[in-house]
Amino acid sequence: MTTDSAIAAITETSARPFNPGRRLLLGALLSASAAALVPWALAEPVDNAEQGAFLGVSALLVGRLALEPGLAQRLYDALVAQNAQFPTQASALLAQINERGLTAATLQPALDEAQSPLAPLPRQIAGAWFLGIVGSGENAVCVAYEEALNATIVGDILKPPSYADGAYGSWATKPEGAGHG
Amino acid sequence: MAESMNTDFLVIGSGIIGSLAARKLALAGASVLILEAGPRVTRGEIVSRFRNSTRRSDLMSPYPSVPTAPHPIYQPTDSGYLVQAGPYPYPAEYIRQFGGTTWHWAAQAWRNVPNDFRLHSLYGVGVDWPISYADLEPYYQEAEEIMGVSGADNTGSPRKQPFPMEPVIEPYAMRRVRERLAPQYKVVSNTTARNSVGYGGRPACCGNNNCQPICPVDAQYHGGIAALQAEAAGVTIRVNANVYQLEHDAQGRITAALYYDADKKSHRVTAKTFILAANGIESPRLLLLSASSKYPKGLANSSDMVGRHLMDHPSTSLTFDADEDLWLGRGPQSPSSIGTMRDGDFRGQHAAYRLDFTNISRVDGATKDLISRAVFGEEFERQLRFASAREMSLKTVLEVLPDPENRITLSSEKDSMGIPKPQAHYAIGEYTRLGHERAQKDFAAIARLMGGTNLRPSKEGAYANNQHICGTLSMGRDPAASVCNEWGRAHDHANLFFCSTGVLPTCGTCNSTENGVALALRTVDHILAEQGIKPGTAAAAAGAPA
Repeated sequence: MTTDSAIAAITETSARPFNPGRRLLLGALLSASAAALVPWALAEPVDNAEQGAFLGVSALLVGRLALEPGLAQRLYDALVAQNAQFPTQASALLAQINERGLTAATLQPALDEAQSPLAPLPRQIAGAWFLGIVGSGENAVCVAYEEALNATIVGDILKPPSYADGAYGSWATKPEGAGHG
Repeated sequence: MAESMNTDFLVIGSGIIGSLAARKLALAGASVLILEAGPRVTRGEIVSRFRNSTRRSDLMSPYPSVPTAPHPIYQPTDSGYLVQAGPYPYPAEYIRQFGGTTWHWAAQAWRNVPNDFRLHSLYGVGVDWPISYADLEPYYQEAEEIMGVSGADNTGSPRKQPFPMEPVIEPYAMRRVRERLAPQYKVVSNTTARNSVGYGGRPACCGNNNCQPICPVDAQYHGGIAALQAEAAGVTIRVNANVYQLEHDAQGRITAALYYDADKKSHRVTAKTFILAANGIESPRLLLLSASSKYPKGLANSSDMVGRHLMDHPSTSLTFDADEDLWLGRGPQSPSSIGTMRDGDFRGQHAAYRLDFTNISRVDGATKDLISRAVFGEEFERQLRFASAREMSLKTVLEVLPDPENRITLSSEKDSMGIPKPQAHYAIGEYTRLGHERAQKDFAAIARLMGGTNLRPSKEGAYANNQHICGTLSMGRDPAASVCNEWGRAHDHANLFFCSTGVLPTCGTCNSTENGVALALRTVDHILAEQGIKPGTAAAAAGAPA
């Protein structure tokens, strides 16, 4: 998708029920190159630039998966609760992505190469979205389980553990979409 | 200190074995009290803890240690409760709570194979059991009917009566493994205390893939159910009652148990007969804690065998990517295994083993791996689906020989109740290592038959633990070389019995719980006969299907 069509997508979805006077659209925070990587996310409403930076980085890290706004808010709040510098750091990270044209594949190597203090951020944000867990060790908190993106990525075939596969024996058949070879 | 209670039978520990022993006594009309160190917790609470856990793959995560009855915790940091004396770590996990450790078992309800009882006679290693397979066979059946065991009659353990129910339907992934490994390997259904039909008022499995750490629907039997059944039979279970000492009289009969309640107030319970059922670590710990001037080495320990011969099942594993989509994670977690190396003349040279296939969802593990490797974006999604579909893993369940140097002792450190902590001394012997080495041929052949790539063996020299704690109260005919006789009675104390996997003299290659339950049911029959008490009716004792 081109930036133009991404902007068109924003226009299409701007009728969603939120107050545009109080919010930004994520697309406004991204450079053209970053926007081109996450065109589907450009219409996400954000409360402020810091939260927008979190969403922008998130969009890059999670690929083409939808960022559910309620979950985004809970993850953001949890990340901020663990690290008061998180909003500033997320903004700085997005700035680097914008300026250097970094992608999901090049982001971490670039931060590691530069020995950047922002280097832990991608894994923290990815862990929040993919596992639903923010923080580590004794300080870790579980923000999501069934909605964590690693569950939704395979949700067409696997239920999150502790949820029934189906009636007795539903697991005996080849799952839809499973191929040989 | 108050003389708080008197009972005919005092059982220490409300786990699956203690609860089922207590229940059988109560069904015969006896007065039975169980003292349980930990708190009462319900299935619903545990399911909720699992879903809100930050360490979903840590089976202990939904079972936090409580200060009034601590148990070992290793994540996120080692609580240091089970002190490690080395040389090899023995990070045993167990749960001090109403119902005990089988809250988070995989319901593997195996019988030994007959030759497991004659290891020394047949192969010149280890020891023989003081009883035979035939002696225990009726009690295996009794245990299986109470627990609701499903299985097929092809696992090398002969039986006189059919399984209570047919095996749980094989998951698709395990079917493909079985088909592709045939005829070189015979993959069989595990015998499990998991319902394939409604049984005992509990539903059939519906494939939640969460047998460990908690089946959310009670389709599998566990100690929490056993404890409730004990209560229904008339047993009183007192929770938060942490027994720290047994007392005896001049003749060596046990007279009382002292316990701390949650406020660390001490209580004393007297009884005619005592049954120690506090697992293979806490039971020897209590015997050692109860040392007196008459028994300076601890109770039941004139032979110095209490706590020795600690055994478990070390595992080594191979993980790889199959060449077809299997999608582990549908159906029960541990459905299938290969049992052809459970017995044979090779046992004179190296450990026997089972090869166990996991069907646990790979999703969380693969996610963590991808994040650690900074795989993000659409590539994450692609690789997560690939790993979730293709990754499979199998492990050895290796026999360990009884070695007196592998043991539980008391530490000089105190726990949060001010009681000396248990301390583990453990090493993996050459016999076991050679079994692992032999299994490498199987690993390689199985990977080849599954078209495996990206082979990831467990680190050489590293053995995962299976929490099948055996040997520390070993039964035997020779009072100088064992702790109790074939009935589980302490050689040194006429009214002290052990109902625990600790009494197993060897560990074989199968999960220890059903052996422990069957031996306990046999012990109770002996006690009832000895005391002239008529057993409860068979139908009631078997917990017939609802």
